[in-house]
This record gives sequence, structure tokens and C-alpha cells, in this order.
Amino acid sequence: MRRLHWAASLFMGLCAVAILMPIVVVSAAALNGGRSMVFPPQDSTFDRFVEFFVSEPVWTNALGNSVLISFSSAALAVLIAWPVAYWLWRVNDPLSKLLAGLAAMPFALPPIVFGVGLGFLWAFGGALGTIWAGILSHAALFAALPLVTISIGLQSIDRAHLDAAATMGATEGVTFRTIVLPQTLPYTASGFFFALVLSFNEFIVMFFVSSSSYATVTLQIFNSLRNGFTPTMAVAAITFITVSVVAFSLVARFGDLPRLMGADTSRT
Amino acid sequence: MSVEATDPALAATGTQEAPARRVNRSLAGRIVFCAVVAMLCLLPFVMVLVISFGEKIEGAGWVFGFDLTNYRRFFVGADWPNSTSFLYLQKLGWSLNYAVIASVLAVVTAFPFTYFLTRLSRRAQTFWLVFLLSSLSLSEVFIVMGWDILLSARSGLPMVMQETGLTDWLKDVGFFPTLRDWGLASPRNVKFKTSVLATVLTMSYLVWPYAVILLYPALSRLDPALIEAARTMGARPWTVIRTVVIPSVKLALVGSVLLLFVFLLGTYVAVTVFAAPAQQTLAVSIYESVRGSTLNAPFGAAQSVILLVTAVVLLAIGQKLSTAGGRA
Repeated sequence: MRRLHWAASLFMGLCAVAILMPIVVVSAAALNGGRSMVFPPQDSTFDRFVEFFVSEPVWTNALGNSVLISFSSAALAVLIAWPVAYWLWRVNDPLSKLLAGLAAMPFALPPIVFGVGLGFLWAFGGALGTIWAGILSHAALFAALPLVTISIGLQSIDRAHLDAAATMGATEGVTFRTIVLPQTLPYTASGFFFALVLSFNEFIVMFFVSSSSYATVTLQIFNSLRNGFTPTMAVAAITFITVSVVAFSLVARFGDLPRLMGADTSRT
Repeated sequence: MSVEATDPALAATGTQEAPARRVNRSLAGRIVFCAVVAMLCLLPFVMVLVISFGEKIEGAGWVFGFDLTNYRRFFVGADWPNSTSFLYLQKLGWSLNYAVIASVLAVVTAFPFTYFLTRLSRRAQTFWLVFLLSSLSLSEVFIVMGWDILLSARSGLPMVMQETGLTDWLKDVGFFPTLRDWGLASPRNVKFKTSVLATVLTMSYLVWPYAVILLYPALSRLDPALIEAARTMGARPWTVIRTVVIPSVKLALVGSVLLLFVFLLGTYVAVTVFAAPAQQTLAVSIYESVRGSTLNAPFGAAQSVILLVTAVVLLAIGQKLSTAGGRA
């Protein structure tokens, strides 16, 4: 592998600095002792961390809601995506293509429109402002992600394995359990983590669906915007970044991240 | 082989059932599943469309109906034909304006980055991808918060410029009035809140990792032999990029701009915080109609439909371009 030109490395470094800049500033602001957010932080303390995770019910409730919604909706998104992806891979008829298109639509269009629509939908169903409506909404919004990763996984299955299974008389169910499911497990997990992290961070759809009856962390932060930023919010930011890094590191550890992102696998 | 041990049992239970009933059950299951997906993914959009033709009732919400009042209000103002107002078209204009500049800026700067990224080792690529995905998934509220601190007059860039004497230097060379004309300075110091520049920068930052992720497949599938060949024939690096790399990923570039553009049409937090009140977008106006001060759900729905149509038209153009390019 040829080394990059120094100017290229410099450019990549500058991009990394630009990306890190707001993140670093927010993280450093979490150490502020006072109520206001200044950079560099004044009389540094970890009190804000205690506030966010333990003592302040506003934040602990919001964090609980965020965790509940993101885990349930990511699991549900995988459950929606699996049959669609499998159907598409197995049959590939117009109906399955239509279904896949439908499942991908909310993610491809401006989320604010989907949020407004879901708000109307749940208002009609009398479920506006319930947590499970929020879970279903996020599952629908992010089903596109596991759909994509699982489809990539299904395409990577060696046809020879399937042929061998068929020759030995395995039914579709047996083949599914012994070949398809194990080989696509890393891709399913990746899809789950993508949906989880994005749901954790999502704001606008949850804003319309929650109807102010409960708050997730991102909603709570937005609600507190008009009072100005406080260091406790920065603790939330640090938490969220940590969750993202851990989740994507897991994906990278157990799955093939460059391949998931569409790199050519024949080259290394 | 635990597989063989468990399977005959399961196969036996399967055969006990009448085949016809099994087919029926799986068919019913499929229909229910399709209905659930359609309800969650399609129905919200349908409802927005239907309600956009509805009517607001003073103090009591709204009713279904079929009139085009909301659309008329959008295009020519509520008081038409007595007077015309293009207020909402202007808002759409700002939406398009911010989204175009921010998405082009993101793709133009992400392109060289992604090109270099794909030249790195697999291990280094994975590291960078984890970094990018983490920043990509970071919520809009946090990003706006970070830029708000960076650009705020008290502790951000304006303060740094004041302290280092850059502001005074700008005043000395006479560039300061120009900045004020651009809305980037108050009488005493430079300011970025509220300005178009801050809005566009934050929006561009928001989608920059997306731009890398979108360009990544095309650039990593680029055949290195092609570049090598051009190099051995004596082409300089810049010539190689101009004549080999860019033409072969042209469609990915255009496609990325379009996708990011559609994504940015709905940006809400960045615009409310960084854009001046007169320069706010349709997304903000939708929010105000549906949940905010004005409370007119049918009109909010009509504005959503306009935004949706804009997005769909652009996505369709992108699709058309990519299939046309695939055939060529």
C-alpha cells in the first residue's frame, strides 16, 4: 500500500479537527462548575455527571425513555426488516420490491413530514403521546437501516452452501435456520446497532409523536434551549457520543464495516 | 450435528398439519405483515396529504374537507385576490437556498477526504469509519449546541478574534464595514449569530459524514489500475483526479448532493437557532402550524406536502440520472 502524500494526510487531519471541534467544546463545557456554559470551563467539577445520571429526575427520566425507546424500536425495526429482506432475496417479485420501497420510504424523505404524518396517525388512533407509539414510530423510521444491512448479508451467502443444503434434502425452514440465519447474524446485529444509535439521537419525529407528554434526552435538551445551554446538557452529549462510539466499534469488531459501507471486498 | 437431532422432530410437527391450511396461514401472515408495514410507513404520508385539504375551525381544531384554501394561502397568500403575498414561497426559497449551498459544500469538501480514505489500509479505514459514523449519528441538538458555543459572542470565535486583535486589524484595513454589510458584524465585533453563514456551516457539518459515507462505495470500487495507468503515462496527480477519478464517480457526486439536499430540506434545530427570523425555512413554519403558535394543522399539512413533493421530484431526478448513467 502506497503512503499518502503529506498534504493529503494534513487535509484528513484538518477534517478530523473540524469534526471534533464542536464535540470537544461541548464535552469540555460539561466540567463547568457554574450554571452557565463557558469554554474553557471554570472551576471544574464532575457534579454535572451526578446530576444527569442520578439526582435530577428530569434527566434520569429522559434517559430512561431514550434507552427504552431506542432498544425497543431497534429490535422492532429488525423484526420488520427481516421478512422484507428475506422475501426480497428469496422471491424478488414486484410485491416484495414494493414492500421494501415502502419500508425504506420514511428514511429517505424529510423526517419532519413523516413526523407530522405520524402525529396525525397517532392522534386518530388515540395513542398520541404514549411511549409505544413512539417506539413504533422509530421502528418505522429506521427499518430501512437493518433492511439494507440484512440485504447485504443475504447477498454475501455462498450459493454453494444453499445448493448443498438443497441436495441433502433440507427444507426451506431448515436451510434458513442452519445457513441463512447464522451467516447473516453479524449483519443483523449491525442493522440493530445502526437503528439503535440513530433512534437514540433522533429528535424531530419524536418531537411530533411525544406531544409533550414525555421527553427523551434530545427532546429535553431542545426544551431547555430557551433557558440557554447548561453544563448538564453537555454531559448528555458526552454520554451520547460514548454510546455511538461503543456501538459502532462493536459493529466494526464483529462485522465487516468497510463492506457494510459498500467497499469492494475483493481488494484489501 | 445437533441440527439433525432437532430437525426431524420439527419436520414431523410440520407434516401433521394439512398443507393447505399451512399455506393459508402463511398467506394470512403475509397480508397482516404487509398491512402493518403499509400502516406504519405509508399511512402517515397519506394522512398528511388528506388533511392538507381540510379546514381549520377557530378554536376547535380542524375538520376534513376538500378545498384548496391552504394551497392558495401557500402560493399567493390568504387574502388573495385582494392582495398577494409570497411569504411562504420565500420560506421555501430559503429552505432550498440553505440546502443547496450546504449540500454542495459538504460534497465538495468530503470528496477529496473520501478519496484519500479509500487509499488507506483496511484497518485505518475501519477506524475512520467508526469515527465518522459516531459523528454522523450525533443528534442535531448536540451539534447545534457545539456550534452555538463556538460561534457565540461570549466564549466563541468572536471573542477569540477580539482577544487576538484580529477584529481591530479588520477595522484597520477597512474590511469591517463589508462584514457588517454581509450581516456578519455588530458595531463592536464580528458576530455569527444570526447569519446565513452560521446556518449553512452548521447544516453542512451536519451532513458532512453522510457525504463521506455516500461517496465511499463509488470511490472504493474505483479500479487502482486505472489510476496507475494514468500515472505511468506521465499524468500529474491533479490531472489524474480531473480526467480519471472525477468522471468515473460523477454520478455518485450528483447523487450524493441530491440525497443530502433532500435530507437538509427538513432541518429544524439549526435553522431556528442560527437563522434570522426573516430568513427561516418551511420546516420551521410547518412546526409552528402543527405544534407551535399559529396552530393550523391543515395548513401545516399543506406545507408538508409541498416539501414532500419537492423532495420526491429531486429524488426522482437523481434516480433518473443514475439509471441513465448506468446504461451509458
